[in-house]
Amino acid sequence: MTTILELDSLTRVFGGLRAVDDVSTKVSEGELFGLIGPNGAGKTTLFNLISGFTPPSSGDVRFKGESITGLPVHKIAHRGMSRTFQNLRVFPNMTVFDNISVGALGMIGVSPFSALWGGRAKAREISERSWEMLEKVGLKEHADDLAANLSYGKRKYLEIARALAMKPDLLILDEPAAGMNDSETAELAQFITDLNKTGLTIMLVEHDMGLVMGICQRLVVLASGRKIADDVPAKVRQDPAVLEAYLGGDD
Amino acid sequence: MFDPYILQQLAIGVSLGMIYALMAIGFTLIFGVLNVVNFAHGEVYTIGAFAGLMAITAFAPPLLVVLFIALAAGAFAGFGLERLAFRPFRRFSDEASLKSRAMREATLMSSLAMSIIAREAMELIFGSQFQSIDLAYLINKPIEIGPITIVNGDLIILAITLIMLGGLQWLLKKSPIGMSIRAVSNNALGAKYCGINTDRTIIFTFIIGSGMGALAGILVGLYYGAIFPAMGFTPGIKAFVAMVMGGLSSIPGAVVSAMILGLAESISTSFMPSVWSDMVAYAFLLATLIFFPQGLFGARRERV
Repeated sequence: MTTILELDSLTRVFGGLRAVDDVSTKVSEGELFGLIGPNGAGKTTLFNLISGFTPPSSGDVRFKGESITGLPVHKIAHRGMSRTFQNLRVFPNMTVFDNISVGALGMIGVSPFSALWGGRAKAREISERSWEMLEKVGLKEHADDLAANLSYGKRKYLEIARALAMKPDLLILDEPAAGMNDSETAELAQFITDLNKTGLTIMLVEHDMGLVMGICQRLVVLASGRKIADDVPAKVRQDPAVLEAYLGGDD
Repeated sequence: MFDPYILQQLAIGVSLGMIYALMAIGFTLIFGVLNVVNFAHGEVYTIGAFAGLMAITAFAPPLLVVLFIALAAGAFAGFGLERLAFRPFRRFSDEASLKSRAMREATLMSSLAMSIIAREAMELIFGSQFQSIDLAYLINKPIEIGPITIVNGDLIILAITLIMLGGLQWLLKKSPIGMSIRAVSNNALGAKYCGINTDRTIIFTFIIGSGMGALAGILVGLYYGAIFPAMGFTPGIKAFVAMVMGGLSSIPGAVVSAMILGLAESISTSFMPSVWSDMVAYAFLLATLIFFPQGLFGARRERV
C-alpha cells in the first residue's frame, strides 16, 4: 500500500502546553482511518496541523510524498486534501448548488488570469461535477434553496458534497456524527463506508467511540497530546492505556 | 398630473440615488469580505474624479475613455489601499489574532489614516478650490422631455449605473472570482478550505468596489462641474448610510436604500432649503439604527 499521509514527530506548543506532542503515524491510500481521543486530547490541534491552519512547532507533514508543512490552507486544499467542519461552515446565503460549485471551483483551479471568466469548458465541468455531487448526497431537489434553509442533517451532507466536489485524495471528516441521533449516525456510517469503497482515503476525527469503532480499519488514539495507541479497533478497545484515558469507560 | 417641478426633482433624485448606489456597493462588498468599514472609500471617489480631470486636461480623450481612466485609477487606488491599510493587519494568522476584534478593527484607523493622507496630498498638489473643467466635458446639457427638463448627465449616469449593476450581478453569480467573493463573505474559513485564496479574493473585492466608487466620483464631478479634494466626504457618508440601511452586507439592500436616499433628498428640497437636504440622510441613519437595527430588509436578504 502506498502511503498518502505521513506525520513525522509533529509537535505543537502553545505557551507551556504541549497540545500535540511528538505524534507520528502513516495513512495508506484507500484506508478508512480514525483519530480519536477524549476532550482536550489535542485532536483539533493535530487536525489543524495536518490541514495547514496552524504551523507545527516542529515535525513534518508529508502528503502524497511531498512535505506540505508551512503551505497555506488553500494550497493544501488544491493538492487534494479536503475537510468538513464539526460546527458546519457551509455558505448560508448561497444556494445549495452554488455551495457545491465553490468546491468544484477549487478542484478545477482558477488562475489569476481566468478569475473573471474561467472559460466555457471549465464552467460546464464545474456544473456537471456539482450536479453529480448533489445526486450523490440526495440534495438534488434542494439545488436552488439557500443553504441556510436546509435542516442540520442536510447541511452536514451538503458540506460533505462540497468537500467531495474538490475531487480530494484524502477526505477528513471532523466529528461528522455530532448532533445526530442513532439512526442518522447509522445512515452516515453507511455513507462513509460506501465512499471509502470507491477508493477514497478517509480520516475520521471523533470524540465519540461508537461510529469509529464500527467502521474504521485503524485507529490512532490521542491523550494529552500524545499518541497512546495505533491499531485495529478490536485491539484498541482492549488497550489498557486507552481504557484509562477514557476513564475506564468504553464510552 | 404631477407638478413638473416634482418630476424634475425625481429625475435628479434618481441620478443621486444611482451615484450613492455605485459608492455603496464598494462599501458593501468590502464589508462583506472583511467585516470592517473602509473609511478611505470617499477618497477613492475623489481620486476617480481627479484622474478623469487630469486625463481631460492632458489629452482631451472622448468621454468614455475619461470614465475608463477614472475606473482604472480607482481600481489601482483600491489595490494600493488594500496593500497598505488592510493586508498588514492580516499577517498574524494565529487563532488569538483571528478572533481579536482589535486586530480587525485596527483597519478602521489605518483606512482613516490613508484617507486623510490622500485628501491632504491632493490639497497640496491641486489646492482645495474647485478645479476648472473643460466645459465641453460637463454632462449638464439640457434635454426637454415634455414639460420637464433633464440633463444628458441624468441619462449617462442611469445608463452607466445600470451597466455596472448588471455587470456586477453577472460577476458575482457566474464568474469564478465572484463566486469566491460570495464564498469569502459567507464564511471565510470555509472558503479557504475549499481552495480559495482569500487574500487574492480580498484584493479583487477592493479593485472592483473601488473602481465603481471612482466611476461615481468622475460622473458627479462632470455632472455638477465640481471637482475638489474634499468632494468625497459627503457622498461617502451617504453611501455608508445606504449600506447600513440595506443591512451592511446586502447589495440589493444597499442599492434600494441608496435610491430611497437619493429620491428623498432631492424631493426634500421642494419643501425645505437645500442646505438642509443632507439632514435627510442622517435622519434615515438614525431611524434605521433605532427601528431597524438589522437594516430595512433584515438579515433575511441574500448577502452580496
